Amino acid sequence: MPQNDTLFTPKLTGCNYTTPDQRAKLTGTARYAEDFRAEGMLICKLLTSPLPHAKVKHLDISAALAMPGVRAILTADELPQPADSASDSGAMIKASPWSERALTMEPHYQGEPIVAVAATDEAAATAALEAIDITFEPLPFVIDPLDSLRPGGPNARTNGNVWLPPGKPGEQPCIGELKWTATDFETAGRERLPMGKTAAEWSYGDVVTGLSQAALVLDETFVTPNVSHQALETRSTLAWWENGKLHLTVGTQGTIQTVPAIAKWLNMSVDDIVLISEYTGGAFGGKITASVAVIIPALLAKKAQAPVMLRVSRADEQSIGRARPSLIGRMQAGFSKEGRLLGLDLFVIMDNGPYEQQGDAATAGRMGSLLYQPKAMRWRGTAVLTNTPTRGPQTAPGGLQVSAMLGPILAKAARRLNLDPLAVCRINAPEGRAPVGPPKADGSLNAATSAFVKEALDRGAETFGWQARRARPALTKGSVRRGIGVATGCFVAGTIGFDGLFVITPEGRLRLHTGIGNLGNESFSDVQRVVADAMDVPWEVCEIAWGNTAKPMPWSCVSGGSQTIHAMSRAALAASLDARQKLKEIAAKTLGGKAEDYNIGDQRVFRNDSSQAGISFAEAAGRAIKLGGVYDGHECPADVNKMTKTSVAALAGQGLVAVARDNFPRDGQTYSHVASFAEVEVDIETGMYRIVDFHAEADAGLMVHPRAFAGQLAGRSMLGIGHATMQKWFYDNQHGAPLSKRFYQTRPPTVLCFPEKFTWGSVGIPDPQTPVGARGIGEPPTGAACAAVLCALTDALGDDKFFRAPVMVDAILAASEPGTRALPGGLSANV
Amino acid sequence: MAQTLRGKLGLTGLKIGCDRGECGACTVLIDDVPQYACSILTQSVRGKNILTIEGLARSDGGLHPLQQGVLEEQGFQCGYCAPGFLMATLGYLKTKPEPTRQELAHGVSGNLCRCQDYDKILTALMRGAEYMKKG
Amino acid sequence: MAIIRDGMPPFDLYQPTSVEDALSLADRLGSDAWMLAGGLDSLERFKDRLKRPKAVIDLGRIDELRGVRQEGVDLVIGSMTTLTEVSLHPEIRARFALLAEAAGQVASPQIRNQGTLGGNISQDTRCWYYRDGWNCYRAGGGTCYAGESPEGQNREHAIFGVEGCAAVSPSDTAPALVALEARLVIKKAGGRREIAAEDFFIGPENDITRLNVLGPGELLTEIRLPATWAGATFYFEKVRDRPVWDFPLVNIAAAMQLSEDRIDRARFVLGAVAALPWRLPRVEAAVAGNLRNAVADSASRLAAEGAVPLAHNGYKVALARNLVKRAILGKKEA
Repeated sequence: MPQNDTLFTPKLTGCNYTTPDQRAKLTGTARYAEDFRAEGMLICKLLTSPLPHAKVKHLDISAALAMPGVRAILTADELPQPADSASDSGAMIKASPWSERALTMEPHYQGEPIVAVAATDEAAATAALEAIDITFEPLPFVIDPLDSLRPGGPNARTNGNVWLPPGKPGEQPCIGELKWTATDFETAGRERLPMGKTAAEWSYGDVVTGLSQAALVLDETFVTPNVSHQALETRSTLAWWENGKLHLTVGTQGTIQTVPAIAKWLNMSVDDIVLISEYTGGAFGGKITASVAVIIPALLAKKAQAPVMLRVSRADEQSIGRARPSLIGRMQAGFSKEGRLLGLDLFVIMDNGPYEQQGDAATAGRMGSLLYQPKAMRWRGTAVLTNTPTRGPQTAPGGLQVSAMLGPILAKAARRLNLDPLAVCRINAPEGRAPVGPPKADGSLNAATSAFVKEALDRGAETFGWQARRARPALTKGSVRRGIGVATGCFVAGTIGFDGLFVITPEGRLRLHTGIGNLGNESFSDVQRVVADAMDVPWEVCEIAWGNTAKPMPWSCVSGGSQTIHAMSRAALAASLDARQKLKEIAAKTLGGKAEDYNIGDQRVFRNDSSQAGISFAEAAGRAIKLGGVYDGHECPADVNKMTKTSVAALAGQGLVAVARDNFPRDGQTYSHVASFAEVEVDIETGMYRIVDFHAEADAGLMVHPRAFAGQLAGRSMLGIGHATMQKWFYDNQHGAPLSKRFYQTRPPTVLCFPEKFTWGSVGIPDPQTPVGARGIGEPPTGAACAAVLCALTDALGDDKFFRAPVMVDAILAASEPGTRALPGGLSANV
Repeated sequence: MAQTLRGKLGLTGLKIGCDRGECGACTVLIDDVPQYACSILTQSVRGKNILTIEGLARSDGGLHPLQQGVLEEQGFQCGYCAPGFLMATLGYLKTKPEPTRQELAHGVSGNLCRCQDYDKILTALMRGAEYMKKG
Repeated sequence: MAIIRDGMPPFDLYQPTSVEDALSLADRLGSDAWMLAGGLDSLERFKDRLKRPKAVIDLGRIDELRGVRQEGVDLVIGSMTTLTEVSLHPEIRARFALLAEAAGQVASPQIRNQGTLGGNISQDTRCWYYRDGWNCYRAGGGTCYAGESPEGQNREHAIFGVEGCAAVSPSDTAPALVALEARLVIKKAGGRREIAAEDFFIGPENDITRLNVLGPGELLTEIRLPATWAGATFYFEKVRDRPVWDFPLVNIAAAMQLSEDRIDRARFVLGAVAALPWRLPRVEAAVAGNLRNAVADSASRLAAEGAVPLAHNGYKVALARNLVKRAILGKKEA
C-alpha cells in the first residue's frame, strides 16, 4: 500500500482535544508564580513615586531597616548597569541610556518604583515602607502629548520630549526635543489634530494627486484610549538562589526567551538561571519576557540570602503592568466614487510614556497600508514622551488603533458616496500577495504571504445576514436606535527560524520539549499536534515538557504578535522531519537497505514493500542510544540556537533526539485578517447600549485547534470591544495624577458586556508560504471588533458624533442632543 | 481570609486578582454562598463552612461534574479566573439548578476574565450544570 | 514619611453578639471605633490605609440585626440584612419592589451576598480624589479637586447642591428608601431615635466630611417601611457604563400612586447627582393630579432645575430629565 509521504497531513491537527493543562486549571492545582512557597520566604513590597516627575532629594532607609522583620532594602544604586547585548546576527546592541530601570531615583511617572523592601511578612514590609524617610524635588511634567508639543510646553524628561530617529544609519534612536508652532495649533482649530513637524515619515505613490483626484476627501481626527493590559495575575515573582543559580517563578509569554532577558538585566550568564513558568495568568503583550520588575526579588534574595516573593498589588500592577498607548490620528482619505481609497495621509501622535519607544505609531502605518490598500499613502508619526506609566505592546499594537481610526472613515465614505459599507470594505481589502508599506530602500513594497479578506467579508456577511439587516427600516420611534457596522482588522501572524525538539523514548513515547509560554492561548500544546500528525502517532503517546528551564527547551518564539502557531508549528514539523529521517536511517542500519526504502506509521518504521518489516519507535529509540552521535543528541545540528544546543546536550542519551531549526522557505510577510460585523441597540435617553449580535470571520490559514481558535476570536474581539465601549485612563493633568487606578474606574469588560449573540467562522484557506498552513489569530480580531462597534454606533446615531473612543454614556447622550459634538477635554485621551 | 487560605493553609487555588472585591478570582463558598474571600475578615467566618476549589473534586480524585463539563469544553484560557468562576457557578446553581444561559451569565457576573472568552466560559459552565443535574 | 496605599493596618476586633453589647462597646471606645457591617467599603478603606481605626466592631454576629419582619403596619428590615436577601424577599418584592430592584442592581452577586442594606446606604462617596487620599474639603482640607480645580476630573460628580464638595452619594438603595418614606432606627447606648430616611443623608452644607448623620457610638439598626407606598407603581433605573460593579452615573427611584393613568401622588428621587439622594419636589408637585402621558414632558423639564453641571458631567442634566420622563411613563426600552 503506497504511503502518503507528503510533509504533513492534518489528522489531529484541526480537531478539538483537551489540552494537558486544563485539568490543573480547574482543580486549583495549577501553580502560578505567586502560588509557590519557599522555606523562609520573605515578602517584598515597593515604594513608588507619588509625583509624576521628580528627583529623590533625600532618602533615609535606616529607620525602615531597623523595623522588626525587615531583612533587606534595595535601592536604585544597587542595580547592575544594563548590559550591552548582541542580536541574533551578532550585531552589538548598545544598552540604552534612556531605558527603564527596575528602581529609579528619578521617577518619570506616579507609581514608578523607587525602593523595594523585603521583610518576613506583608505587614512588616508595609510598615517598613511607611518608615522610609524620603523627599522629592519636583520636576516639570506632562501628561497630554499635545501639551508637550506646544511652543514652550513641558518635557517629560529633562533632555527631551520625543523619540527621534537615528542621526546616522547604524545608530540608535534617541530622545530629543520637538515643538510645534503656535500657527500649527491655530490652523488646526480645536477639533483637528495640528500637523506640525514629525519625527518620522514614509510614503509611496503620490498622495497629493491621489487626494486631488478623489471624488470624496475626508479629513478626520480620532483619539484612541490608553488601556492597561490588566492581566488578572499581577506580575508577582518569587526568586531564590541555590548553588549559585538564580531560580525564579514568573508569569511570562516566553519561557525560554525570558532567560536571556533576565541575564541581560542582571549582567549574568544564562546558564545560571532556572526559570519556572508553567502557568501564566494572562499577559496580552504585557509579559513578553516577563519584565524588568523580576530583577527586584532576584537582587533582594541575594542580598537577604533568603527567597523573596515580590507580591505585586493591583495598584502597583496598574503602574508597572504596561498599557497600550493612545494614538491621536489625523486621517485625510480620498475615495473614488466607487469607494476605492486613492490616497491616504495618516498622521499620528503617540502617547509613548517616558521610556522605550513603542511600535504602535509605526505599526499603525504599516497595518493601514495592508488593510486598506491605498493606491498612494503617506505616514507621519511621532512618539511623544509623557509622565505616565511605561507602555508595552498589547494585542495588535498599532493594529487595533489603525482599525479604530480608519474603519469608521470607510463607513462614512460609504454613506457619503451612497454605497454599501461592506462594498467599501471589500473594494479596499487586501487580496493574495497584497503589498504592504513602508517601502523598502529601493522604493518597492513588501508583500503579504496571502490574504483572503474578500472571502472573509463575503462569508461573514452571509452568516451575519448583513444585507437583510441593512434593508430593514431604521428605528425612529421610542428611544432605541439600531446600528450595524462592518470592519476589518489585520496583524502580523507569524515568524520563522525557531527550533523544534523532542525525544522518542525507549518506551516508545514522544516527549515534546517546548520553550513556549503558557498564557492560555494553548499554542504550547497545539503546535505539538503537528508533531503527532507528522509522526503518525496517537496523541496519547505524546507528552509535553514545558514551563521549567530545568527541563531542556528548544529556542522558541515569544507568544506575542500572534507568531507562535505559525513559527512553532514550522519548528515542530522541522523536528518531525528530522525524526523521520533518523528513524529511517536507524531502520536501514538495523534491517538493511537504504533509508528511503522505509516509511513511518503506526508507531513503527517499516520497509516500504510487501514485507512491511520494521522496528517499533521504542526499539528505534533504543538503537538511537546505542548509535549515539546525531541519533541520541550527542551531536547537534550547527544551525540551531545556542540555547537549543545546551538543551540537546542535556537530553543526549535519553532516546532518539529530534532537533531542527525551521529552515522552511517563506516568501513574504505573514499576516492574518478578520472581518467583523456588529449590531448595536442604543438607548438615546440613557446613553446605554447593547451589542446584540456580533460575528467574526477569520482569514488565518488552517485552524490547528478550533476551540482555542474560537477562543482567540471571541476573547480578542472582546478586547477590541472594550476599547470601543468602556476602557480608558483618566488623569488630573494639573497634578499629573492618574485617577483611574481601580477596576471600577478602568472598567475591564464583564460577562454581561459580551455580545448577546456571538458567532464566528474561518475561511480556513491554508497559507501557501508555510508547510502547515497555519497563521496566528490572536491579534487581528481586536481592531476589527473595535471598529465594527464604532461603525455600528455611528450608523445608529449619525456621522460626526464621536472623535474619541471609548464611547460611553456621556458621549452617547452628547451625540443624541441636537447640535452637540465636542466633549470637554479637547483631543486628550485621558478624560 | 484570602490571605489566610492561601498563606496559612496553603490553599492557593483561589487567587488574589485585585484584593478589593472587583474581580472575583478569590470567590469561595461560605455556607454555600459565593463571596469574595479578599474582602472578609478571617475572624468573621468562625464556625462557618468554607468551600474552596480544592474541595470540589471527589474524594477519589475524580472531577466534580461541573469541572468535568468545563474540561470537556476547554472552558478557560489562562485559567487564573477559573477557580473563582467555578465556585461562583456552584453557589449560583444551588439557588437555581437549571438556569438559562443568560441567567447563568448574571449569576457569574461578579467574576472577571481578562482573556474575555466569555462565550466559551458560559458554554462550558452550562455543560457542567447539565452534568450536575444528571449527577 | 512615605505614603503607602496598600496593606491593612492592625486593629482590635470586637465581635459582639447583641445590639446592647455593640452599643456599650461603641460607647466605651468612642471615636476610636469603626462599625463594620458587610465590610466591603470598610475593608477597602483600611487596606488603602486611609482609615485607621484602633478598634473595629464587627456587627456580623448580631442575629437581631438580620432579617425581615412585619411589625404592625411597618415592614422592618434589619440593617445587616444582605442586599441579596432584600432583593429576593417575597414580601419586599410584593409590596416594595422598588427597593428589591434597587438592591438587585448593586455591584455584583458576591457583593450583594455580603453587603448589607445598612451598609449600602451608609457607604462613603466614591469621589476618586477623596478615595485616593487627596486632602480635599471632605478629608479636612481646603479645596475640592474635582469641582474647583481648573482641570479637575468630575464626570461622575454632582450637578446639584455643590457647596464646596462635588462628591455624590453612590448608593442604589438610598434613593429607593427616600422614595418609600422609610424610617431609620438609630441606637446608641441608652438612646434610640427614629428619623425619616430623607433626614439621614446630609449634604456638604450641613457637614462636608460625612454623608449621613451617624455619629460616634451610633448604630443604624432597622429600616422601617411604612405601608404608605406599599404596592404603588414603582420605577427604578440605574444608568452606568458597565453592567456589573459600576456605581450609578445617575439612578432614579420613583413611587407613584395612580388612579388609572392619573398620578395622585408621587415621589421622585435621583441618586448620584448630589451628596445625598436628591428629591424632586417640583416634579412631584407638577405631576400630582395629572395624566402620565400628558405631564411627562413638562414635568421632566423641571427635573434639572437648579442643576449646575461641572466641566465633564453635563450629560447628567440630560439624564436627570430623561430618567424622570421614563419614570413618569413607566417604560424602559433598552
